[in-house]
Amino acid sequence: MARTVILGAGIAGHTAALHLRRMLPKAHDVVVVSPNSKWNWIPSNIWVGIGRMTPEQVTFPLAPIYRRKGIEFHQALATELHGDGSAELPRPHVTVRYTDPARQGQEARLEYDYLVNATGPKLNFGATPGLGPDGHSWSVCTAGHATDAARAFAQVVGRLEAGDHQTLLIGMGHGTCTCQGAAFEYTFNAEHELTKAGVRDRAEVIYITNEVQLGDFGMDSMNFGTKRGIVPSHVFAESLFQERGVKAIMGAHVERVEPGVVHYELLDGTKGQQPFDFAMLLPPFRGADLKAFDREGADITSEVFAPSGFMKVDADYTPKPYEEWRASDWPRTYRSLRYDNVWAAGIAFAPPHPMSRPRTTPNGTAIAPAPPRTGMPSGVIGRAVAQTIAERVRHGAAGKVHTASMAEMGAACIASAGAGWLDGKAAAMTVFPIVPDPEKYGDAGRDTKETFGEIGLSAHWMKAMLHYLFLYKAKARPLWFLIPE
Amino acid sequence: MSNLTTFPNAPLPSDKELRARRNVVRQAWRFVVLNGKMLTMVTKGHH
Repeated sequence: MARTVILGAGIAGHTAALHLRRMLPKAHDVVVVSPNSKWNWIPSNIWVGIGRMTPEQVTFPLAPIYRRKGIEFHQALATELHGDGSAELPRPHVTVRYTDPARQGQEARLEYDYLVNATGPKLNFGATPGLGPDGHSWSVCTAGHATDAARAFAQVVGRLEAGDHQTLLIGMGHGTCTCQGAAFEYTFNAEHELTKAGVRDRAEVIYITNEVQLGDFGMDSMNFGTKRGIVPSHVFAESLFQERGVKAIMGAHVERVEPGVVHYELLDGTKGQQPFDFAMLLPPFRGADLKAFDREGADITSEVFAPSGFMKVDADYTPKPYEEWRASDWPRTYRSLRYDNVWAAGIAFAPPHPMSRPRTTPNGTAIAPAPPRTGMPSGVIGRAVAQTIAERVRHGAAGKVHTASMAEMGAACIASAGAGWLDGKAAAMTVFPIVPDPEKYGDAGRDTKETFGEIGLSAHWMKAMLHYLFLYKAKARPLWFLIPE
Repeated sequence: MSNLTTFPNAPLPSDKELRARRNVVRQAWRFVVLNGKMLTMVTKGHH
């Protein structure tokens, strides 16, 4: 009997747990550890953040699903990884601290044969003084944050309706942020709502970003193949910004957020301030701060995890300049560098390097968009890791190793630009592969037949369809596994 | 000095394009096409 422990119940962890449970007989344990009691379809938090959806529409409790599927669930936060066991407990185990009200604060040690680290990101609001809901800006990173943001956004609309002028500042709260797509979506959804409310003319909507040009999305931009030739993603994005009257502060690192004003530094080293009445600024991410120890109790965190807190896996982490980055640097199996029975899935793995060219200001400030690891690759990686573990359980070391390199898979991003069944709009974008590979695809970096962008009502329908489809899948309803990641 | 950037040289959609983006019949067709394209790409990425 094998026991697999999965840390995290986000897109990667939940996908891995459901697939593993489906693939393995009930004699084998599948255990999920998550500090959250609910699953959250994060892409739809954008709609919660403008008041178009309730938090209940984008979340559901995990415990009943896991009970139904025969998955052991611990609502707890993993704090320590003892992959070689310890003096007291020789088998590999993780230390967890419970977050559920019944056992709040209690610690336990969970043994495992196989471990999946799918802890996702820690929202690092602390990297920028004053950033976040405990500071002076809003966020849509969780359903709770989005609910608070919606309340503040409604107040802004109220003040506009009363005849006041308001400035909305939306974007990235640090020079090393990722998830530009989410900020992009929130910008245009907010703008759409202001237009519908008839108050757009009194509102200034400003997008602040660490991207050197629009449409970079932390992916070194994209080249969309169209009937009229190649259209760079910056042209695609700039067209939308100009059409909708949204201004931008480009190549910016937010230094601090004070009540009603953001202080930032630009790539050329100049400093600026932007007053606002409402700010939704995303935080940078870091790993979940899991500590690793060897059998003797020595701290080996720096061997198992990168300085960012993400787990080192089968990637090439040799430091090298942008010009020497290769698609082959990216991991394929996601197995830990140190442990042969531990994998990192989704955001929890340490990327070998960014995709966009990292830059620093003359003052030495890093302005370097981090590489995105969105829902689609996270789900695909979670599934591949589950398949590998199932093979190992069945066939031992001879089991097939499944791969899911981001340099060999595509991703779809539907960036909502306004909700509404008949007046909604979204930008549908696909890239193949996610990690650019100039050696294979030339200067375009990607397959321009598979990389495309399109704006329209149909993309909004797709975004809405994906919302219902992935909630259905995550709830493990009949035939859920036929829905691709 | 303002650091706000606008994009006056960006190509704007024509009235025809804007109508096409909202036209329910055309968009229903595009919905089918987009789904097909994405499914192809998803299938290609699964190993």
